[in-house]
Amino acid sequence: MDHFPTNWGRPRNDAFDAYGTYPIAQRPYNGPKDTFETGVQRTQQPIVTGTSVLALKYKDGIMMAADNLASYGSLARFKDVERLHSVGNNTVIGAGGDMSDFQYIQSILDSLMIEEFTAQDGHSLGPSEIHEYLSQVMYSRRSKMDPLWNSLIVGGFKDGKRFLSYVDLLGTTYSSSTLATGYGSYIAQPLLRKAVEGYEDVLTEEQAEKIITECLKVLFYRDARSLNKYQIATITAKGVHISESRSMETTWSFAEGIRGYGSQTQ
Amino acid sequence: MPDMVSLDRAGPQQRQFNPYSDNGGTILAIAGADFSVIAGDTRQSEGYNIQTRYAPKVFKLTDKAVLAVNGFAADGNMFVKRVRQRLEWYRHAHAKDMPLRAIARLIQTMLYGRRFFPYYVYNILGGIEEDGSGAVYSFDPVGSYERESCRAAGAAQSLVQPFLDNQIYFKNQTAAPGTTHPKHLPLQEVLSLVIDSFTSATERHIEASVGDGLEMYVVLARGSQLQGLENVPNVQEMTTTSDGERIFIIRRELKKD
Amino acid sequence: MFLTRSEYDRGVNTFSPEGRLFQVEYAIEAIKLGSTTIGIKTPEGVIIAVEKRVQSPLLESSSIEKIMEIDSHLGCAMSGLIADARTMIDHARVTAQNHSFTYDEKIKVESVTQAVCDLALRFGESVHDEDAMMSRPFGVALLIAGVDELGPQLFHTDPSGTFVRYNAKAIGSGSEAAQAELQDKWHSKMTLQEAQILTLRVLKQVMEEKLDHNNVQVAQVTPTKGFEILDETKLKSVIDLM
Repeated sequence: MDHFPTNWGRPRNDAFDAYGTYPIAQRPYNGPKDTFETGVQRTQQPIVTGTSVLALKYKDGIMMAADNLASYGSLARFKDVERLHSVGNNTVIGAGGDMSDFQYIQSILDSLMIEEFTAQDGHSLGPSEIHEYLSQVMYSRRSKMDPLWNSLIVGGFKDGKRFLSYVDLLGTTYSSSTLATGYGSYIAQPLLRKAVEGYEDVLTEEQAEKIITECLKVLFYRDARSLNKYQIATITAKGVHISESRSMETTWSFAEGIRGYGSQTQ
Repeated sequence: MPDMVSLDRAGPQQRQFNPYSDNGGTILAIAGADFSVIAGDTRQSEGYNIQTRYAPKVFKLTDKAVLAVNGFAADGNMFVKRVRQRLEWYRHAHAKDMPLRAIARLIQTMLYGRRFFPYYVYNILGGIEEDGSGAVYSFDPVGSYERESCRAAGAAQSLVQPFLDNQIYFKNQTAAPGTTHPKHLPLQEVLSLVIDSFTSATERHIEASVGDGLEMYVVLARGSQLQGLENVPNVQEMTTTSDGERIFIIRRELKKD
Repeated sequence: MFLTRSEYDRGVNTFSPEGRLFQVEYAIEAIKLGSTTIGIKTPEGVIIAVEKRVQSPLLESSSIEKIMEIDSHLGCAMSGLIADARTMIDHARVTAQNHSFTYDEKIKVESVTQAVCDLALRFGESVHDEDAMMSRPFGVALLIAGVDELGPQLFHTDPSGTFVRYNAKAIGSGSEAAQAELQDKWHSKMTLQEAQILTLRVLKQVMEEKLDHNNVQVAQVTPTKGFEILDETKLKSVIDLM
């Protein structure tokens, strides 16, 4: 039953009405039908997952970091996965959550950049445009009850301006001078805020790197789904740079002395 | 230790994706005789996490309409985006800005259009009516709406609304013999009430969901006086036309803990 | 080789080498066969009036309907193929209702006129192998009268989908003479009653039959009472005044 009176008694389907006399918003919806109608179960859960991504603003641009681990439940399944991905010459996205969804996002963003490039119209998508596009993709997928199970950080530097913003599987967005996803939002974000808020315009790259590796280290000690192998990306006026994977020194000898939980009961 | 038998007995498990979240925060609007004040804090949170200290919840729609949106932030932002799109289409189709009352009805039809997958947002629309009076419209997530003199919504609604009932509607107050309570309060007084509401909500709300910053929009009717607005610190005019209503924004800090 | 005029009469959407759409032009011609219809705008409201051609003494003249209500603040008078106007009026009514449902305000006169004209050029249009909704242009012209926040207004639409605002306009068979008369007599400070009388006087001049309350219909749109068709007593009193 069509409850829209303007469609009643009309010999043609407005679906093909290229010159509709009604405002677009009032034309009947001809896309996929009601999400709940078919009873198809689209709900998923993340399978192979990445953990935290950290990012901060510093004097010259944006710094972002993520480790190289993709877990399969509690199994450290892949230890050489890159969770930082450059999009164009001014943007990096970092992802936590489902890695196959992230790879899908990489592929649609790469296609988008190619499409924009072939237009040759003098425009290139910068970090804010990429973030807006991504948030529309994420929001529309959550509205179809078929989310892309990720928390993403978009960092960039274009036309002398730093850009740092977040988007997740719900389509929720926000930006601030420090960002962290997953466990990082509990453990690293307070440390990052203390070290960065108010100093965004004075922190050097060396200082920023020291802060971010310190946070990674804390996460490695506390987050059981993390790895001490990581990459750091910088996005500055000079463009995007994503480092090779590097490992950090950690010591676990102190664990011997821990009592009260874990395998040592006494 | 679970064995295969007990696992089997547990039966199939189902997890459902929850498309909603609550991003905290509080919004508030008060109508005066010839002005309207629409305010919101700028914190966005999820549970006890502060996502950001600055994410606006109050948006200028036209020179005479301001919309405050509270609830699930992703829905809120999308909703504001779509309302703005409809306002622009209307401007093209009818060669005028949409009147406040029409925006209110539009918001109802847009919200009710999603009756079975609602925008999880509480809207408060403030501005100036065609007759020059200050107005506030409040909505529930599926489009029920009414025009009121004041309304608070969001995390601290239960703290702020009773305060406003007492201070704006003079509930539980008896007027001195031979006097009556005023129908509308002056702008200065309204601004003080708004600031007090938010500092109190920041202080007393149990969860960390109100705070960081306060944005107050003031819409003045066509031809009305500044009413002391010129002396308010941190005030900034946002009006785009020269002969219509005027819009101002006042920013204040709130506690960040 | 130069094709004759008739070669371009077949396709409704085929331009002639001179850049004309003959079917649309013929449709405009069809209106000149219709009965005379007049509209006058005054500061107090808009008057629309039509001649009803009562071809037979057995015909019940009250069944001739050439003035219709679109909304409480909008009226419409027509000339040409009256049956065609039904589609347009129907569209106008739905558009007006839809507007007040969505925006809680009355639609502007120009907006409803635009909506009707959007429909006018949809003849011959078909997409995706569907049958076209209309095979030919509308053979009717409308005078849309209304009152909105911009005051009383009168619009004229024709089969080409063009619309223009007028202070006073005549369409139909006697339109040339009537328009000349309107141009002579119209002034900006007319009262509603003066306009009522003028419409009837002009109609009387161009009508073959003797004008009486059976062969004319008058309606008005005013800011206070909106659209109303003058009833027999009111019409008679205006006729007596002229």
